[in-house]
Amino acid sequence: MSVREAVGYGLLGLGVAAEVVAVLGLVAMRDVYDRLHYVGPATLGALLVAAALWVYQGPSQIAVEGSLVALIVLVVSPAMAHGTARAARISEREDWRPQPDEGIEVEEP
Amino acid sequence: MREWHIAAAILVGALIPCGWICLRRSFAEGIVALQLAGTIAALALLTLAEAERREPFGMLAVVLIALSFPGTLVFLRFLERMK
Repeated sequence: MSVREAVGYGLLGLGVAAEVVAVLGLVAMRDVYDRLHYVGPATLGALLVAAALWVYQGPSQIAVEGSLVALIVLVVSPAMAHGTARAARISEREDWRPQPDEGIEVEEP
Repeated sequence: MREWHIAAAILVGALIPCGWICLRRSFAEGIVALQLAGTIAALALLTLAEAERREPFGMLAVVLIALSFPGTLVFLRFLERMK
């Protein structure tokens, strides 16, 4: 096994491990907002798998496709997490803003 | 069996808990699981394409990830209207 292959497999292993951590966190947490935090490691996993493809294959079609997947996840995933939290809050309280009964102090601009 | 096959198998296995959350937990928690499942499924397709040395099949992963987020947005609209 060459050094290039070893580094590629290492990055692949780290990427898969990040996805497994994300799934374990998703299962272990209690509510929707806690679970949402564990979508983050999945983004890191996508970046690591794309890096593994670049190291293992060099410039190739599959490496470009991997980079595209990682780029889409990197750009869209934070916005989706925000949208999910907002929608969950609207579903619970009919408004995403802090409500008086929650005891949250908000500074007026 | 190559290392890429093993990685693909682990990623496919990681989809099972996401399915369990979708089936057994609330609608909002199911959407979170769906988001994660979309990313994991795309990576599983990517690693499978590399394992089978069929590079054009990696485009399936790109299409899946590009479509899974708008699909989740539709579910978010339904969630907002749920009381």
